[in-house]
Amino acid sequence: MNRLGEAAGRLLRGPWACRLLQRLGIEPRRFWLLTDLFGQLAERREMTSHLGHNTAALRLNAWILCGMTGLAAVLMLLAQIALAKYFAIFLAMTGVMLAGILFSETGNSLVNPVEGLVLAHQPIDGATYTAAKLTHLARILLYLVPALDGIPAICGLLLGAPWYYPLLHLAAAFLLGCVIALFCCAVFGWLIRFIPARRLKAAGQIAEIVPWTLFLAFQYTRGLFQHIHPSHWLPTGIAALAGLGLAAAGVSVGAVVMGLRCLSGDYLVRISAIVHGSSGAKAGVRRSRTSDLVAWCFGGPPSRAGFEFVSRMTRRDWQFRRQLIPMLPATVMLLVGSAHELRTSPFSGRFTGAQVAPHFFGGILFLICPLLVYGSDYQGAWLFLLAPGRALGPFARGIFAWLWLRIIVMPHVVLLGGAAWFWGMRDAALFTLYSVAVASFYLGLELRLIDGVPFSKPPEPTRQNYLLPFVFLGGGVMAVAVGVQYFFLFHSRPAVLLAALAVGAAACLVTRASLDTFESAIRFNLGLMSAEAKVLYREVEG
Amino acid sequence: MSPSENAPIVEFDRVVFSYSHIEVLHQISFQLARGEVVGLLGPNGAGKSTTIKIMAGILAPGGGTIRVTGLPLPERAVDVKQRIGYVPETAVLFDSLTGQEFLELSGRLHDVAEDTLQMRIRSILETFSLLADRTSRLDSYSKGMRQKILIAAALLHNPELILLDEPLSGLDVNAAIMIKDLIAALSAGGKTILYSSHVLDVVEKVCRRVLIIHQGKLIADGSAESLKASTRESTLEDVFRNLTGSASVDPGVARIVAAMQS
Repeated sequence: MNRLGEAAGRLLRGPWACRLLQRLGIEPRRFWLLTDLFGQLAERREMTSHLGHNTAALRLNAWILCGMTGLAAVLMLLAQIALAKYFAIFLAMTGVMLAGILFSETGNSLVNPVEGLVLAHQPIDGATYTAAKLTHLARILLYLVPALDGIPAICGLLLGAPWYYPLLHLAAAFLLGCVIALFCCAVFGWLIRFIPARRLKAAGQIAEIVPWTLFLAFQYTRGLFQHIHPSHWLPTGIAALAGLGLAAAGVSVGAVVMGLRCLSGDYLVRISAIVHGSSGAKAGVRRSRTSDLVAWCFGGPPSRAGFEFVSRMTRRDWQFRRQLIPMLPATVMLLVGSAHELRTSPFSGRFTGAQVAPHFFGGILFLICPLLVYGSDYQGAWLFLLAPGRALGPFARGIFAWLWLRIIVMPHVVLLGGAAWFWGMRDAALFTLYSVAVASFYLGLELRLIDGVPFSKPPEPTRQNYLLPFVFLGGGVMAVAVGVQYFFLFHSRPAVLLAALAVGAAACLVTRASLDTFESAIRFNLGLMSAEAKVLYREVEG
Repeated sequence: MSPSENAPIVEFDRVVFSYSHIEVLHQISFQLARGEVVGLLGPNGAGKSTTIKIMAGILAPGGGTIRVTGLPLPERAVDVKQRIGYVPETAVLFDSLTGQEFLELSGRLHDVAEDTLQMRIRSILETFSLLADRTSRLDSYSKGMRQKILIAAALLHNPELILLDEPLSGLDVNAAIMIKDLIAALSAGGKTILYSSHVLDVVEKVCRRVLIIHQGKLIADGSAESLKASTRESTLEDVFRNLTGSASVDPGVARIVAAMQS
């Protein structure tokens, strides 16, 4: 296997590959120098936020996707669906998955070029630099396309496909992956060309949401397409149809080529502005009443510090927002889709979406809590090493206060208003009380997932993958809890009141214990950080 | 001397630069002759580092014309970068590389032949007393050692023009003296050096000519002696205070102390 890799390496760095690179405007010697550099940095854990450079994360992702598509292939085999439909479904699935991953990775590479500051003054042209930077997208394709389509391609033979079907299936999937990768690069090329550097990070994040939003929106608007019949708008003659297709293909290819040219031409000159680009927005210095309240209830200035710190960083930290983006469209669609469920009271005897609400908040917190420790400005965490030890407890309580007030209490105030309108004040208040108690219980448990000071670690692409089994497990537990509620609780209002009080009391106890654990996690991680003092305090040592 | 050797190595003509619609350089014009050692002074945020980054081809100006080593910027930025050495104000490095690896990368990107590169790396590291640490990762280096690596990387490819943005930051006294001697030696060897610093007495000793930028405008250009004469001040520090209006810092200091005690 190693010999095969070495041979492939020699071929890729051979004269014909150099000629090909030169024809594309890429300087081969510097291209390979940079590619080797990025590989070396990734190997030494300095460039871990790029999936394509992180072999462990890539392998884990590949195994998970392989398992998912393998299961889907077996189910489709059992259903004996037609081969064409089978092929189309897997190609669409590959397209959606790769679009989501590649958009995010291209954005992370191009909009957050942390290595750019070291290389910006080196004699490297834009085409060479961007080509070297985006080589990791090719690695993603090499790992994920076989993972997504390997088993389905082989299983296709059991649906009566000819012997060459697996090769055809994989070739089509690779081709689709390459087209998507080029499209992603072109989109960011256009963005870098036309969006001011200070707005680029925000624009990149919006672009990352687009594939997920389109995919989810399609789920809700399928019926609309069936009524509109877009196929009726197309010309009927073959020649006209072919002309239209060619024109559309020409425009698409042109847009992609121009986007790639923008990227190779402008990127390196803009790097310094992109890295140092800030929105330019100025924050006020007003004193928040909520943080006054938090300071009063949760332990004075350190708790206010924790509350304000998390409140500001969750809004401004680029990496934190980036980690939440894939979840955002699904959450919004779910909320919009289930808004009409508010009309029916959960005490009506019927199953309604409102009964899921407390667990939904638990789910949101389950996704946020483990991500809270990762951020772009993790190097600023040295500040917490200087904090007196007694401040860490109230600081942790301030962070809890932010999570509880912003993610549980505030949405429930809105829910209470809407529910009171439809169900009457008594039912709305009772349900809100119950929902706050259950969501608080979840938060009490999930505080244990915050592994240190918020925003104090560099992002890890593998982290979300490790959580995936727990997401499935947690989903199962929540489904059981929703069932128990429906069958045993929501038929009696006094039972709900009693349950709310009991769960509320349990939430208090669990939260108290979890806050101690959270404080210990903060202390432990600060201890680890101070053990790496040679990195943090090199100025002092010097 | 051929006409090209007489031509200025840097020509800034009415250069404008903006960050987020805020103009930070207002029509700056100056020239640097070959072999000159020029000091670039100015208060924080005056536009010194921006001027140097534009000269290094890292930032593209919003207006005006620039030629560095006879080549227009930003159009020929790659060729200009090949001919200049740049020491940035902050020591941003790849922390997981060793000193040797970082210098090799820098030299190879500048097309330095491998034998020459290894010889130069060894010689520079030896002079900087870093030879024993060359195989240690940069994250274990002190701030001064990192600064020396940046200076070494800027010199490896024998550039015509050297841009130094606060090069003495973090260096100990011996290293600082050595860098001052190095600047003098490089200047004697015909190199052009633009030296940006807040340490005015060093600038006064090292540079034959001084540019002072204030609020994005070039407010003074001349030798330290001529500036002292024109402003009737006795030291460059007084000239600087006079021209940039920073003489009134004492009330600010009093305010800080009062705020700490309140």
